[in-house]
Amino acid sequence: MAATRAGARACEIFTTLEYGPVPESHACALAWLDTQDRHLGHYVNGQWLKPEHRSSVPCQDPITGENLASCLQAQTEDVAGAVEAARTSLENWSTQPGAFRAQHLTRLAKMIQKHQRLLWTLESLVTGRAIREVRDRDVPLAQQLLQHHAVQAHTQEEALAGWEPLGVIGLILPPTFCFLEMMQRICPALAVGCTVVVLVPPASPTPLLVAQLAGELGQFPGILNVISGPASLGPVLASQPGVQKVAFCGTIEDGRALRRALAGQGPELGLALGAESLLLLMETADVDSAVEGVVDAAWSDRSPGGLRLLIQESVWDETMRRLQARMGRLRGGRGLDGAVDMGARGAAARDLAQRYVREAQSQGAQVFQAGSMPPDSPFFPPSLVSDLPPASPCTQAEVPWPLVVASPFRTAKEALAMANWTPRGGSASVWSERLGQALELAYGLQMGTVWINAHGLRDPAVPTGGCKESGSSWHGGPDGLYEYLRPSGTPTQLPYLSENLNYDTFGLAVPSTLPAGPETGLSWVGQSPGARAALLWALAAALQRRESTLVSRLERHGVELKVAKAEVELSVRRLRAWGARVQAQGCTLQVAELKGPVLRLQEPLGVLAIVCPEEWPLLAFVSLLAPALAHGNTVVLVPSGACPIPALEVCQDMATLLPGGLVNVVTGDRDHLTRCLALHQDIQALWYFGSAQGSQFVEWASAGNLKPVWVNRGCPRAWDQDAEGAGPELGLRAARTKALWLPMGD
Amino acid sequence: MSAHQRGMELDLSWISKIQVNQPAVLRRAEQIQARRPVKKEWQAAWLLKAVTFIDLTTLSGDDTSSNIQRLCYKAKYPIREDLLKALNMHDKGITTAAICVYPARVCDAVKALKAAGCDIPVASVATGFPAGQTHLKTRLEEIRLAVEDGASEIDVVINRTLVLTGQWEALYDEIRQFRKACGEAHLKTILATGELGSLTNVYKASMIAMMAGSDFIKTSTGKETVNATFPVAIVMLRAIRDFFWKTGNKIGFKPAGGIRSAKDSLAWLSLIKEELGDEWLKPELFRIGASTLLADIERQIYHHVTGRYAAYHDLPMS
Repeated sequence: MAATRAGARACEIFTTLEYGPVPESHACALAWLDTQDRHLGHYVNGQWLKPEHRSSVPCQDPITGENLASCLQAQTEDVAGAVEAARTSLENWSTQPGAFRAQHLTRLAKMIQKHQRLLWTLESLVTGRAIREVRDRDVPLAQQLLQHHAVQAHTQEEALAGWEPLGVIGLILPPTFCFLEMMQRICPALAVGCTVVVLVPPASPTPLLVAQLAGELGQFPGILNVISGPASLGPVLASQPGVQKVAFCGTIEDGRALRRALAGQGPELGLALGAESLLLLMETADVDSAVEGVVDAAWSDRSPGGLRLLIQESVWDETMRRLQARMGRLRGGRGLDGAVDMGARGAAARDLAQRYVREAQSQGAQVFQAGSMPPDSPFFPPSLVSDLPPASPCTQAEVPWPLVVASPFRTAKEALAMANWTPRGGSASVWSERLGQALELAYGLQMGTVWINAHGLRDPAVPTGGCKESGSSWHGGPDGLYEYLRPSGTPTQLPYLSENLNYDTFGLAVPSTLPAGPETGLSWVGQSPGARAALLWALAAALQRRESTLVSRLERHGVELKVAKAEVELSVRRLRAWGARVQAQGCTLQVAELKGPVLRLQEPLGVLAIVCPEEWPLLAFVSLLAPALAHGNTVVLVPSGACPIPALEVCQDMATLLPGGLVNVVTGDRDHLTRCLALHQDIQALWYFGSAQGSQFVEWASAGNLKPVWVNRGCPRAWDQDAEGAGPELGLRAARTKALWLPMGD
Repeated sequence: MSAHQRGMELDLSWISKIQVNQPAVLRRAEQIQARRPVKKEWQAAWLLKAVTFIDLTTLSGDDTSSNIQRLCYKAKYPIREDLLKALNMHDKGITTAAICVYPARVCDAVKALKAAGCDIPVASVATGFPAGQTHLKTRLEEIRLAVEDGASEIDVVINRTLVLTGQWEALYDEIRQFRKACGEAHLKTILATGELGSLTNVYKASMIAMMAGSDFIKTSTGKETVNATFPVAIVMLRAIRDFFWKTGNKIGFKPAGGIRSAKDSLAWLSLIKEELGDEWLKPELFRIGASTLLADIERQIYHHVTGRYAAYHDLPMS
C-alpha cells in the first residue's frame, strides 16, 4: 500500500518536477531546550542562573508560533552579578600569555565544531532564517573567527606591543543575527584579554548556548557571560563599575539614544548601526551576475537589512526584467527546509516591511512582489520597489528586509552623488567590468566596506564596519583588535558625569562669532601621500625658522626658556615624524577563501574638528594637527584659550604653504565653539581636550550625526611624551578604514 | 522531434557589449549546487527524469557493432523492469533520449535500434570530432554521410580557431553551412568550452551558434581537459535565455563530459530549472551527454526501491 502511494507520488513528481521538502530535524535543538526544562535563564560565570521573581518572555517558533521555551528577563542586580563575574575573571584572563589565550580560543572553536548541528538547528529554529545560510556560512564563519583571533592572540605580545586590553566589555545585541554579531565581537575582545558581558534581547537562546559551550571548557568560566533582557538594560550595563567599553549593534535610533545616555558615564561606546546595504550597477556590468548580487544582498537570508539599488538608466529595463524573472525562482518557506532561499523573520520584521511597502505605494511607487502571501502569514515575499524618487519621504528611512528599492542614475558621477547622499555608510558593492571606473567609484563611496563585482563576502581577517550614522566601530582584521585595546598605561575610565550639566545651555552664555563653515579641502584629499609628507616637512622647516619668535611668545606666557625651546623643537620633530609616517598607508590583506586581494584603506575622516588643550599651547596644537593633516583631513582647530598666539603664529606659515581652507583656526569662547562644533552635522569627527563638562557635552552632542569623538574627560595628557603625544593611537583616530574587496579571475 | 529552428541573420550587436564576470559566475555555480537538494521520492522521480535526458554515448576507437548493439538495448531498457514497477513507472516508456556514436557506427546503431523495435534517435558526432581541425569540405561531407546513414541528430564541433581569433562572421558562416548540410536532422553545436579561453568567449560563441541555426548548444566533446562545468553552463544558459527573450525561439542545452554521478545529474536538472525554468526540462530542449552516468542512476534507483546498494552485476550491463 505504502509502496503504491509512493509510486503514485513519484509518477506525479516525474511529470511536474517539483521540488520536495528537505526538512532538517530540529530534535537536537528541542533536546537541548529540554535539558533546561524549556526554561532559559542567564549564563554567568560558567553556570546557569535562574533567579526567582523575574518576568519571562516566551521564545516562539516564528513560523508556527509554537512556544519553544520561556526566557527569564534580567534585572539590574543580575546585570551587576554578571559584570562582577567578568571583572573577577579579568585579572586572571588578561594576564595570561597570548599563546595561552590562543589555545583556549582554539578549544572553543573545537567545541563549536562538535556541537555545530545543535547550533545551526537552534539558530534557524528560533530566528526563522534559512538553515542553509546558518549551516554553510554563519557556523563555519564563527569557527574561522575563533581560529583567526587565536592566531592574533598568539602573536599579541609582539604585534601589539604597547597596547593593553581595555577590561570588561559590555556587548548589546539586536534580535536578528545575534549569534554572528556576537561571535564577531567576542572573538577579538577575548583574544586580546578582555572579558565580556553580553546582553541579548529576550528570547535569543543561541548566544546562551555559545556561553554554555564556552563554560563547559572548564577553565576561565567568567570570561563570557550572557544575560537576556530588554534593551532598556543597556545603560544599566554601561554604568556598572568596571565596564570599560560598550559595543552596541542595533538600530540607528537606539544607538543615538544610548550615545546620549552614556555621555559622561565613563565607558567608551562602539556603535555598529543600521542594516541597509547599497548596490551600484553600471552599464558595463555583467548584469546577470549583478542580479545574483542583489539576491545575495537582500533575498537569501544573508544580511539583516534591505538594499538600495542604483541602476544606470541605459540598462534599467534589462535589469528590471532580469530581476523580476529571478525573483520568480526564489523559494520562501520554513527556515529549517534545506531547499529554501528565504525563511521568515517574525512578525515585527514582516510588519515593518509591510508598512514600508504601503507607504511607498501611497507615494506613487511601483512594487513588484514575487508570489503573494495571505495577510496573516509569517512570511513576507521578496519585494522590488521602483519609481520612488529621492525626494519622497519614504526614501529617508532605511530600506527594511526583504526589500530592494531601485532608482536609476545617468552617469558614474551621479551614481556616486546619489550613493553618498545618505546619512548612512555601511556596505556597498560596485558592479562594473571597467577597472578604472570600478576603482573610482569604490574609492569615492563613503562606506565601510566596498565589494567590486560581489556582495556580502566576509572574512575574519578583513575589517568590517562603517562610517557616518552606521557607526564607526569595527570587527575583524587589525581594526577589530584595536576596538578592545588601549595604549599601555592609559588610566582606567571612570565616570565623570556631572549631573547638573545642562545640555541646552552649555556654551550658549557668551555670544561670539560662529566659525565659518570649513571648505572641504578636496585638493588635499587627492594629494599623494608623498606630497602631503613634503608639505608637512615644509611646515616643519618654516616652524624652525620661526623658532626664536615662538620661544619668546611662550616665554611671555610664563614658560621657562629651556622648556620653551624644547617645546618648539619637539613640535618641529612631530611634524617631521608624521610626515614620514604618512607614506605607510593602507595594506593588502590575505583572505583565505577569496582569489584576489582585499585592500585595507586608510581614508580621511573629512572635516575633523580639534579643540586643543589649554596646556602646551604650541606642542599640543602641532601634535594634534600633524596626524590630522597627515591622513588627509580638513581641520578646524580651537587653540589654547589662555595662550592662542603660538598657534596663530603657525597659521601664518600655513596660510602660505597649505591650500586655502584646509586648516581653519578659530578663537573665541571655547565652550561656545565646542558647542557649535559638536552639534555641527557636517563635521565628521571631533577631538576634545578640555574640561570634564565639555567632554560630557561633546559625547552627548555627537549623537546628532554620530560622529566619532575623542574626549579627555578633563584629564591632562603628557604631550611631551611620545607615547601620549605622538603614539599610534592618534593615527588610528585620524583616519577611517575602508575594506575594498577585489575578487579576480577571468 | 519537432521542426528545427531556422536561425537568423547575423547580428554582431548582440555580442559586442556582453560582459561576463568569472568570479561572480563561479560563486553562483557554487551556490546553485548547495541550494536545491532533492531527497527521497523526489530524488527517485528526478533521477528517472534524468534518464530520459541522457544521450547514451560511446565515442571510443574500439567501438564495434557488438558493443553498439548492447548500448542500444540499454538505451531502450535503461532501468531494470522490476525497479520501475516498484515505482509504478514501468508503463511510462522510459528510455534514454538518444544514442550518440561516431559517424562510422551510425549504421550499426540504426540497425540495432530497429531490431530492438525502438524509435529513439541516433545522434552522430561529426565535423572532425573532437578537434575540428580538418578541411571544411570534409567536415561538411561527414555530416551528409552521417545523415544518409540514418543519423537524425548531428553533434558538430566548432572551429575553435575562429573563436580565439575573433572571426565571428566566419564562425557564423561555417555553422550556417553545417545547418544546411544537416537537412532535416537536428543540429547540436559543440562549443568545446574548455578551449575557448574565457567565459565571455563562451557567451559569444553560444550566441553565434544559436543565430546560425543550432537546435542545441553543447558544452564539450568530452575529450578536452576541462569538460562540462557549472560556470560554463550558467553562461550558456544565460545566452539561451537572452536568445529566447530576443527571438522567442527556445534553444536546447546539452552538457557533456564528466557527468558521472546521479548526484551530479540532479544538480544539472536544478540548474536548468533555476536558470531557464521548467519548460526547458524535456528531451527536446535538454540532454545530458554521458556514458557511465546511467549505471550510477540505476544503482541509486535500486537503493531507493530496495534500501540496499547494488553490486554491479545486479544491474544489466550496457
